[in-house]
Amino acid sequence: MSLHEALDSIGELERPRIIQLRPNLFACCFQIMKLLPARFMLDRAEDRGEISPGGVICETTSGTFGLALAKLGAIRGYQVKLVSDPAVDPYLAARLKSLGAEVEIVSKPSGAHGFQGARLTRLHEIIAANSSAYWPQQYDNPDNPLSYSVVAERLAEIVGQIDSLVGSVGSGGSMSGTAKFLRDVFPDLQVSAVDTPCSILFGQPDGTRTLRGLGNSIMPKNLDHSQFDDVHWVTAFEALASMRKLNRQYGLFMGPTSGASMLVAEWVARRSPEKIVVAMLADEGHRYYQTAYNDDWLAPLGDLSVSPPSDPIFVSSPVEPVGQWSRYAWGRREPGHYLPQQRIAS
Amino acid sequence: MFGIGSAIGHHGEIIQGVFERDRRSLVRGLVSFPCSALKSKATFHPTEGSEVTVSPAWKTKARDAVKTFLARRGVPTAGGSLCIESNISVGFGLGSSTADVIASIRAVARYHGVCLAPADIARMAVEAEQACDSTMFDGRAVLFAQREGHVIESLAGELPAIDIVSVNVSPDMPVDTLAYPPARYSTTEIEQFRSLRGFLRAAIRSASPSLLGRVATASAIINQRHLPQKYFVEVKAIAEKNQAVGIQVAHSGTVIGLMFDPAKPTERKQIKTAITDLNSLGFSPRLYRH
Repeated sequence: MSLHEALDSIGELERPRIIQLRPNLFACCFQIMKLLPARFMLDRAEDRGEISPGGVICETTSGTFGLALAKLGAIRGYQVKLVSDPAVDPYLAARLKSLGAEVEIVSKPSGAHGFQGARLTRLHEIIAANSSAYWPQQYDNPDNPLSYSVVAERLAEIVGQIDSLVGSVGSGGSMSGTAKFLRDVFPDLQVSAVDTPCSILFGQPDGTRTLRGLGNSIMPKNLDHSQFDDVHWVTAFEALASMRKLNRQYGLFMGPTSGASMLVAEWVARRSPEKIVVAMLADEGHRYYQTAYNDDWLAPLGDLSVSPPSDPIFVSSPVEPVGQWSRYAWGRREPGHYLPQQRIAS
Repeated sequence: MFGIGSAIGHHGEIIQGVFERDRRSLVRGLVSFPCSALKSKATFHPTEGSEVTVSPAWKTKARDAVKTFLARRGVPTAGGSLCIESNISVGFGLGSSTADVIASIRAVARYHGVCLAPADIARMAVEAEQACDSTMFDGRAVLFAQREGHVIESLAGELPAIDIVSVNVSPDMPVDTLAYPPARYSTTEIEQFRSLRGFLRAAIRSASPSLLGRVATASAIINQRHLPQKYFVEVKAIAEKNQAVGIQVAHSGTVIGLMFDPAKPTERKQIKTAITDLNSLGFSPRLYRH
């Protein structure tokens, strides 16, 4: 097998498995979803001559995007330097180390943008110090959403007609990207964003979020708000209860954002049995076995013996504080559309 | 003794763009939309000497394709007279040139008792012209590299049956369809074609006119950013109003096809009103049944 063919085989890891859970509900399951945009961004950067073997890749991330970069860096011969915060879990830290990535922890938050701002500052310092450094910029790099053509292609072949797409939003890449490709063929596709309270993406006030892996304190350019028909805010406990139910009911061992996504997707599928619904499930549960899958760890968040709600509360504005699963009809509108109109003096 | 060959034209394409051939190598490709009402027929009579003549005399590509065939085969009598009849209008993206070339190759091959596979015909056709279409595959839908003359992907089935209401948006101004520089696609468009390829496979596997129509419409919309059809918006609106399953275009020509599903009970009526609507805009549409 030539080196090129061997590198190709790694491409299988980025592809989702599409599993039918109900007559009108499909789960699009990724092992590590971020491998797809990471690989695509690096391919395009290589095509443009922005990076070559031996080069340095820098990024700020405490999640799976860093893992994806570390994996690709190890295979393709790049040095990967990640700036992270103390929230990086031991499982992820061990995996990053095993792939030869360097991880720098920034432990002090800075000003309005908390840890994310501090990490960015440190990242810029590293970039300034490394002349050949490449920064993928997953939040703003348009190659991120464009990478999801592979997902649309796969969904086309396995599912065919799709009426509704549901998935969590962090950088905006996976949902904005997949939605746009599907809408080339199905312009009436209904797209539901899954977010969490205290994430600014769809108008909630910024704050510390218990549910990680989705939501954001910084508005990414890759979030195309005009793609979304509605937005759901799901709390950490609701997401984790749903994640565990996904495991028990279907044998799908996935992560917390998948739980959030599935909670909403099952509701959409129940409400509209004639519509075909696809849920994007972004990562597997291995990383969370000591936390979200551990009863002792989960106990302070809520009572597992109490069923989480089966329907969201409908809210009339995104700025209302949400303490439980809530839904707002975003209607493909621009950010801030719900704010009182400013009259311009003539 | 003589040889006869025939070939059909097409009504533009279901899709035309760039596609991944293997990892990270892109190639221009298309799926022609065959139209059996459009035909070229060629007759080849051998003659003394080594000259090949063609009638009408301006069909030089067909003549050259025959000359190449004869030279490669090393046949004893290399002379002949080629006579081509065709009902395919020239210069609107209907594949008249390729149909002439293929019919001629088939005629001379038939005369010499040679059996040619579609792939061989494709190679010869692309040599004779810079680019050809995929009509030589006789019913099998293929994603075809039109400038290289080979199959990118066999789509494992036939195109579903579709009736076309054909509109020529520029009937008084034929074009040289090969004179346009090949379109340069953006990264976004390249990825759109990747996604559309998945839907194309699904449409053919499930024999779905409606899904095929959606793929064709998406390809036509992308093409508007490259070689825009006049009156595209107006014709698309009529298609939607009359519940066509989609529209397809000649990507480097001037015909637009409103696609209808023959299996739908309301189809006859919808085609009738679509034709009326097009007439009232000043077009002279034609109906091509599958």
